[in-house]
Amino acid sequence: MEKELRERARELLESGEVGVVIGYGWNRRKRRTTPVFIRKPEEAERLVFNPLCVNNLSVYLTRKYPDIQKLGRAAIVAKGCDIKNIVVLMAEGQLKRDDVYIIGVRCNGVVYRQELWQGELRPEIMPVKCHNCDVREPHVADTVVGEPVLFTPPEEPVGMVFDKIREIDAMSPEERWQFWMDHFSRCIKCYACRQVCSLCYCERCITEKNMPQWIETSAHPRGNLAWNLIRAMHLAGRCTFCGECERACPVNIPLNIINQKLVLVVKDAFEHRSGYDPDTHPPLIVYDTEDKEDFIK
Amino acid sequence: MEKSLLKKEALQKLIDGVREKGGRFVAPSILARQVVYREVDCADQMVHDYIVPRNSIKEFLFPQTEPILRFRLMREGVEVEDVRVEPERTVFFGVRPCDAASCGAVRKVFTWDYIDQFYTRREDSSVMMTIACTSSDDECFCTTVGVSPEGKEGADLLLKETVDGDYLVEAVTDRGRAFVEEFKDVFTEPDGAELKAVATPEPIEGVNIDNIIGFLKDRSHYNSEIWAELARKCVGCGACTFTCPTCRCFDMVDEGTYIEGERRKNWDSCQFDSFTLHASGHNPRDTQFKRWRNRFMCKFNFYPVKFSARGCVGCGRCIRVCPVRLDITEVMIEVSEAARDV
Repeated sequence: MEKELRERARELLESGEVGVVIGYGWNRRKRRTTPVFIRKPEEAERLVFNPLCVNNLSVYLTRKYPDIQKLGRAAIVAKGCDIKNIVVLMAEGQLKRDDVYIIGVRCNGVVYRQELWQGELRPEIMPVKCHNCDVREPHVADTVVGEPVLFTPPEEPVGMVFDKIREIDAMSPEERWQFWMDHFSRCIKCYACRQVCSLCYCERCITEKNMPQWIETSAHPRGNLAWNLIRAMHLAGRCTFCGECERACPVNIPLNIINQKLVLVVKDAFEHRSGYDPDTHPPLIVYDTEDKEDFIK
Repeated sequence: MEKSLLKKEALQKLIDGVREKGGRFVAPSILARQVVYREVDCADQMVHDYIVPRNSIKEFLFPQTEPILRFRLMREGVEVEDVRVEPERTVFFGVRPCDAASCGAVRKVFTWDYIDQFYTRREDSSVMMTIACTSSDDECFCTTVGVSPEGKEGADLLLKETVDGDYLVEAVTDRGRAFVEEFKDVFTEPDGAELKAVATPEPIEGVNIDNIIGFLKDRSHYNSEIWAELARKCVGCGACTFTCPTCRCFDMVDEGTYIEGERRKNWDSCQFDSFTLHASGHNPRDTQFKRWRNRFMCKFNFYPVKFSARGCVGCGRCIRVCPVRLDITEVMIEVSEAARDV
């Protein structure tokens, strides 16, 4: 697969079709992968793809990176789950299909966090998204590399996140409040969750608006709760459950539970699944007379 | 008694003793599947097999958020109430030498042109029980920046693990000696205990700190193209700065209602795009690589040059937490090389 990937990247750069290939490369010790920006055909050899390629590189396609946009049209190495985010960016008018060349990679799953890697991809070290993946064959791409993957996702989604959602749904409001306040109390307001998210592309985040101050920026319980709730609400109907925020969180806040709960609620209310169709707008930014009103009791 | 033994069975007695006198006992413990320094009341909550905790001890001396004054709008004007810190004694057990070394560095900025008592009072009422490292990982690079895994810098007491899991205790400062004297029923005579081997990370090949400093001091390199190349992938979160033991930038915010509220001192990060944003809208560090360059400059040029203090202690936290694996040691190698090529 890597041979194919490098070949394709080299061709794209040689022909001038793109100015940069955003992909994965090894770190110096070759034990972790890291985003790389390939600009010369001969550097295409640096590209790799393996289960350590956890990053969702679509974040670099957003307007948060004017320096990367200056490098010219981009090609991006993207797993199916990463492509979902690119699709949302297109649906929200942030990207045109022609702005980016998508090198889809057929993927057998990745590790939840790179430090768990011990040379073998075992189910226990894979994130929940991989166990239920329906895009191992990239669904929107200009070219696809890798061997076809034989994998059928389970009919009913499985994994710890779903178990935990059932558990939390069964809690009393007080218990649920305590559960989240305990987790949010660790938040250090580093905003890694926002920064790694390709759908958090606001030029000015609401937490930085201080006239008036909507969210207290201090890392005290009220400020932490406000931040995590508002981020969740802003991603409702948009989040693709790529899991980057939870992976990036230095204090292990289980953000995937929130993300997946949002996915389930939106699916139930609007029959919308984010990240599959660039022509369908996220439900919370459109008005539709057919919207359910069963929440009015 | 310059050296003594702290038996692992005696730890609970030490914790109880400290707490009975109104102090708090901070030690490595598990929280949300991570080893963190946190307050413990029971020896069972402590862990002994760890490399470097997720957080540094700075959050106990320089809290992430703290009120520094309170205000209230009255008919006659604004009433301002001072906040005075009266910290309890904090005993830090199991501090790694890199973390202990960071305290002296942080103190420099808080005692420079103004004595910041919010910091100094807390540090002055702390006892630092450093434990020499017996394990390290790929990210540890203390020896590359001149810190030793059995260093005494910043320590009041230096502990070394014995093969039996006890600790050989060496008093480093008067405060450490007084602490051993105060709890002399906890510490016992060293009986020639056999020590575990200290884990010393190999200095990273290709890094030359003098060359790095020289390169950074030369202003013609400030706009070098290498910065964009090295830091393009940075996503601009504050994880590196907030877990860093020597990063100490803070911001002031007023929070509350229009009638009353608090002025709070909060951690800030030079990686945030609003960090140097001027009221005019101009930002001298308008793109992310310039913000990352600032962090590197601060670690190896601005801070050590201005304060004669460490900017980096080599704990490796910034590498472990970085979501895009922007490894400061890789940049150190690249800059060392660039300096050689000049």
